Amino acid sequence: MIFLLSTTIMMGTPLLFGALAEVIAERTGMMVTAIEGIFLMGAWAGFVGGYLSGSLTLGFLSAMLAGLLVAALYGWICIYLKQHQVVTGVAINLLAVGLCSFLYRVIFGVPITPLTVNPLATIPIPLLSDIPLLGPILFNQTILTYIIYLLAPLSYFMLYKTSIGLTIRSAGENPEAVDVAGINVLRVRFLTVLLAGVMGGVAGAFYSIGFLGMFTTNIIGGRGWIAFAICFLGNWNPKGAVIGTLAFGFAEAIAIYMQSTGNSALFPNELFIALPYIMTIVLTVSRKSFSVPAKLGVPYVKEN
Amino acid sequence: MMQAKLRDLLITNILAIVLGLVASGLMLLFLGKNPVNAYSVLITSVVRDGYTFADIFVKATPLMFTALAFAFTYKANLYNIGAQGQFYIGAVIAAAGSLFLQNILPGWLVLIITLVLTIVGGGLWGAFIGFVKARYNSNEFLVSMMSTYVALAIMNYLLRTFLIEGKAEYPQTDALAAAVWLPRLIPGTRLHIGFVLAVLACVGVWVLLYKTTLGYRIRAVGYNAGAAEMSGINAKKLYILAFFISGALAGVAGFTEVNGVQHMLVQGFNPDLGAAGIGIAILANGNPIGIIFAATLFGALKVGGTIMGQMSGIPSSIIELMQGFVMVFVILSYFVRTWLENNREKRKLQKAVAK
Repeated sequence: MIFLLSTTIMMGTPLLFGALAEVIAERTGMMVTAIEGIFLMGAWAGFVGGYLSGSLTLGFLSAMLAGLLVAALYGWICIYLKQHQVVTGVAINLLAVGLCSFLYRVIFGVPITPLTVNPLATIPIPLLSDIPLLGPILFNQTILTYIIYLLAPLSYFMLYKTSIGLTIRSAGENPEAVDVAGINVLRVRFLTVLLAGVMGGVAGAFYSIGFLGMFTTNIIGGRGWIAFAICFLGNWNPKGAVIGTLAFGFAEAIAIYMQSTGNSALFPNELFIALPYIMTIVLTVSRKSFSVPAKLGVPYVKEN
Repeated sequence: MMQAKLRDLLITNILAIVLGLVASGLMLLFLGKNPVNAYSVLITSVVRDGYTFADIFVKATPLMFTALAFAFTYKANLYNIGAQGQFYIGAVIAAAGSLFLQNILPGWLVLIITLVLTIVGGGLWGAFIGFVKARYNSNEFLVSMMSTYVALAIMNYLLRTFLIEGKAEYPQTDALAAAVWLPRLIPGTRLHIGFVLAVLACVGVWVLLYKTTLGYRIRAVGYNAGAAEMSGINAKKLYILAFFISGALAGVAGFTEVNGVQHMLVQGFNPDLGAAGIGIAILANGNPIGIIFAATLFGALKVGGTIMGQMSGIPSSIIELMQGFVMVFVILSYFVRTWLENNREKRKLQKAVAK
């Protein structure tokens, strides 16, 4: 049980990075449909940076840079060239698959045994990690987990209690008003997409160097889309994102637990693998009221 | 006026394709390969050899179906990005149906029944997305994406259990009996009758969209759902129907691939049909006839990429790279076209004012 819950928190970490990134960007009206590609390039760059430099810190920095670049391409096409967000995302995701498997080959050739790095170690917090039950679940995690659970309340505060947050939310609800106030709507949107890219890059790198210690092209396997879904299901709110993340982290923890204990006689493995995706569908169906940002997915064109 | 638009479309698209190929060619430099060399080897080997040339159309066949699947709902302003999953469902049904029926019924009858089953199966899988959209106002984009992963899990599960080969060694089915293979069009190549089916589907979807009331309604909903509802069109029913047709089209791709090319179902085959289909649909500007040509181009990219992958030292991921670059440049070409169009309008206005 402790294993399940601590895995829930661990596997939820990258999802929360991605979901918070989506929440902030989508509040300005920008769906980051390139999230899957951002995760993948982050995982790739994190591994390459970490492996070549021998430092995981440098790995995560290169992952941030890679996420930033993918997001910049996406943002440029969707915000400044006003092209369709869904279609552009699909194209960039496909390009990311090609780029990272091609460049992996360019850098490493065809290694005989899979290349590995030592993944991020957990940092037990003194005293707190000794608390029975809660200690090993909450306070024996990697640094990224601590960071994101600090960032979640911070981003809530930022979105709802500061003028920056007001600008961000208004850019997605009433961009004309933001424009009249003398703030550049396009720039607000572009900056939040870049921020989402940086956070998504870290999330991707979590899978390669934070957890598995290696890179394959199917390492992300739709988890970017799950972060995307969590943002929807969490009603574009950091609080909802945390709750959604825990639910999905738990689903993933069950899958990992079931795989490690071998085939269950009652339920096939595949059921647990598909569980997060089935959950998304069930939850989108069962949630009645959403507060979708009014201009989500709509490019902003200034009236002359 | 129309001519100028068509000219822009052709020029910008060709330019986008060339730029995409140049960008991927430049990537070859990282491997120390001469891209000009690689491309010229590629072109000569495609043209010289009939088998390889016919393979372009073999690869184009499922792509036409998945591209139609995306384009069809796109006309109703809906996003079906789950064609990959509908394709997997179709492939599973095609393999299971053929294996089950091949010893009971004559081959041609099995083929017809299997085709109908894949249409129904893929269609229902797709219609579910339309249903939750209509009934619960779910985001169809999200649900279709998620349904792909569910379909993949179902396929993997069945390949590990009920459908696994007699030897039970690999996650794949037994080979289908030759009687239930789709007939070859040209002997000595892999080109099968599914290609004709795909072209007919493109023409059929064009007729459906532009020459029937149903097509008119679908486009009306896509253009302005509110106005369409006001004029008495039941948009919700259309969502379900559009997704049924879309899913059925993608499902048939599973039929042509299993019965026409693979003659068995293998775990994890053709993982990028759905994404490439979307690329083809936008390259063709959503036009079903244009999809025939755009899919042929993507087929050529696939065959070309495979040939390049067989050359020493070039990884087969060059295919995804070419597809990805071409798609990004095609999206950029949309921007260029709008810009050209606006400029033309401006000039016309200026002329009118000058008079």
